[in-house]
Amino acid sequence: MNTIKKLFIANRAEIALRIVRTARRMGIATVVPMHDQDQFGPALTEADETIEIFGTPAVAAWLDIPGIIRAAIDSGCDALHPGYGFLSENATFAKAVTDAALIFVGPPAPVIALMGDKITARRFAVRQGMPVTPSADEAEDPATFEQRALKVGFPLLIKGAAGGGGKGMQIARRIEDLANAISVARSESQRYFGDGRLFAERFVEQPRHIEVQVFGDTHGNVIHLGERECSIQRRFQKLIEESPAPALPNGLRDRICDAAVRLASAARYVNAGTVECIVSPDGEFFFLEMNTRLQVEHPVTEMVTGLDLVELQLRVAQGEALPLRQADVQFSGHAIECRILAEDADAGFVPDTGKVLVLNAPTGPGVRFDCGVTQGAPVTADFDSLLAKLVVHGADRTLAISRMRSALAETSMLGVTINNDFLSRVLKQPAFERGETDTGFLERHKAELAPAVLTEAERQMLLAVAASAAPDISATRIPEPYASMGGWRN
Amino acid sequence: MTTLQFSDTPDMRHQVQVRSEAVYVDGTPIQVRKSAPGSFVGTLDGRTERLRAVAHGDTIYVQFRGRSIKVNRMDPTRASASGAAGGAGASHAPMPGVVVSVLVTVGQQVTNGDALLVIESMKLQMTISATLDGEVAELPLAVGQTFQRNDMLVRLKTSGDAA
Repeated sequence: MNTIKKLFIANRAEIALRIVRTARRMGIATVVPMHDQDQFGPALTEADETIEIFGTPAVAAWLDIPGIIRAAIDSGCDALHPGYGFLSENATFAKAVTDAALIFVGPPAPVIALMGDKITARRFAVRQGMPVTPSADEAEDPATFEQRALKVGFPLLIKGAAGGGGKGMQIARRIEDLANAISVARSESQRYFGDGRLFAERFVEQPRHIEVQVFGDTHGNVIHLGERECSIQRRFQKLIEESPAPALPNGLRDRICDAAVRLASAARYVNAGTVECIVSPDGEFFFLEMNTRLQVEHPVTEMVTGLDLVELQLRVAQGEALPLRQADVQFSGHAIECRILAEDADAGFVPDTGKVLVLNAPTGPGVRFDCGVTQGAPVTADFDSLLAKLVVHGADRTLAISRMRSALAETSMLGVTINNDFLSRVLKQPAFERGETDTGFLERHKAELAPAVLTEAERQMLLAVAASAAPDISATRIPEPYASMGGWRN
Repeated sequence: MTTLQFSDTPDMRHQVQVRSEAVYVDGTPIQVRKSAPGSFVGTLDGRTERLRAVAHGDTIYVQFRGRSIKVNRMDPTRASASGAAGGAGASHAPMPGVVVSVLVTVGQQVTNGDALLVIESMKLQMTISATLDGEVAELPLAVGQTFQRNDMLVRLKTSGDAA
């Protein structure tokens, strides 16, 4: 065993603070990087040390492999946690970390490389008996691509082989649409990724996004910590996640979780990972991809299992065996996470920038607020728009939804537009309450999700209050509870 | 007397006057009371409403029933000048970001709705389109260049305009 004494956290904002808190509880010292353009993160005051990193634009500093490793070594760390995003799924980085004699808190580099390439990951999954959607890869034989795509069957999703993030994707529902879908997808893929090669797969209508949290150790044990449903998405990005998945028959849930464990075992998976699937309305499930890192939405799993996933990550990275077996994992109640984003959801989810002038954190039974900003923090376009994660737990889904609505109403960040009211409206939809969620939910319920039009009397009251408002108080005084506000709220 | 406007209805200006007995909005007295710094209480249809508000420069952020609503304070001495800056054919950045692609060149003829350039801010790509029929007069940014909020991205001129 190789006990970690000092941990470098190659990340920022809420996830940096979340990792600092667990490390500190375990008696591990922490170092968090600081950048000239990012000096308001709550982790910077909570970590034992900070070290400056450099780069323009600022995000480049978190992507600079030699720079990050140098910072970790210079600050005397013996291990590195990548968090999520940035370099967390970069196999070259993982190898560079271990080559520098640092413990990488994540899977071995070859496993990251295997799962990082969509095509090899898919082939590997097929070999392990994991269902995948029928597909045709243009690279195999460009001359026959169209015929092979036709054989897959409609509706067809045509996408760039090098793509991701929903760019360059076209749906063809009939044979007449195919030629046009191919030509549009090709030109978009060429423009976005500099690579016009295509990939066709069967498009699953009204798909649910279901993912399984898996965990492996270096002793060959692999377990799952249940599933999460992340079907409420906009532009292929998750907004609301929950566990357990509503309206998922138990037999299907077990089949998906078992398949995920088999896949992870076959890959000799170590540390926290997530196997993502889509589930069709008639209960078929298909492998989507595997994420080889801690997931943004891991707190919902922590809420229903009572486990600390970062603690498990650090113990596994030290060479310990997982402290529990599959039968020891207990699930209790229901948890929901809402992503609090700096965006104007009602104007088409456009990002907003500004400054957090007043921050009101929700509290109460079963409420956890993992917040990445402090009062007075500028919100710029330099980083992701995720400002905080609001997570609630209740004995059942009804209580969790009710607690989430109250907590969202209590959350405010005046000075930048956030999406809390939009999220409240989603949680109030009868279809959401019934668990009728799939990735087309927001588009389908667009009309019902529009904000109420303000009445004349309401507008007059807003103007009266606006005229009475005092200037920005954050520059002069930060109220103590917010100044020291952190992530864990149990 | 303060002149205020909502972001969603920039054409409507409201005259608001804070007096000891009430706040007058376009002449109508409205009862609101400050309950704590930044916090206000009012009554709507017999129901008590709690609001929060803070001003930052000329923007006032008001929190009302879970929503955050932006109200702008108009400075009468500057209101007219800002409208003229850049002219009608100029497009300004709605937020800071980077230029992803430039689809036109200076001197090119474009029609209303034509895509001119693609920008990206916080992972979101947006296409800036022509707002009138005319010619591309200025294109100050190249692919990969960053810009700040309100920076001019492109300016068009109608065929009648002088250079």
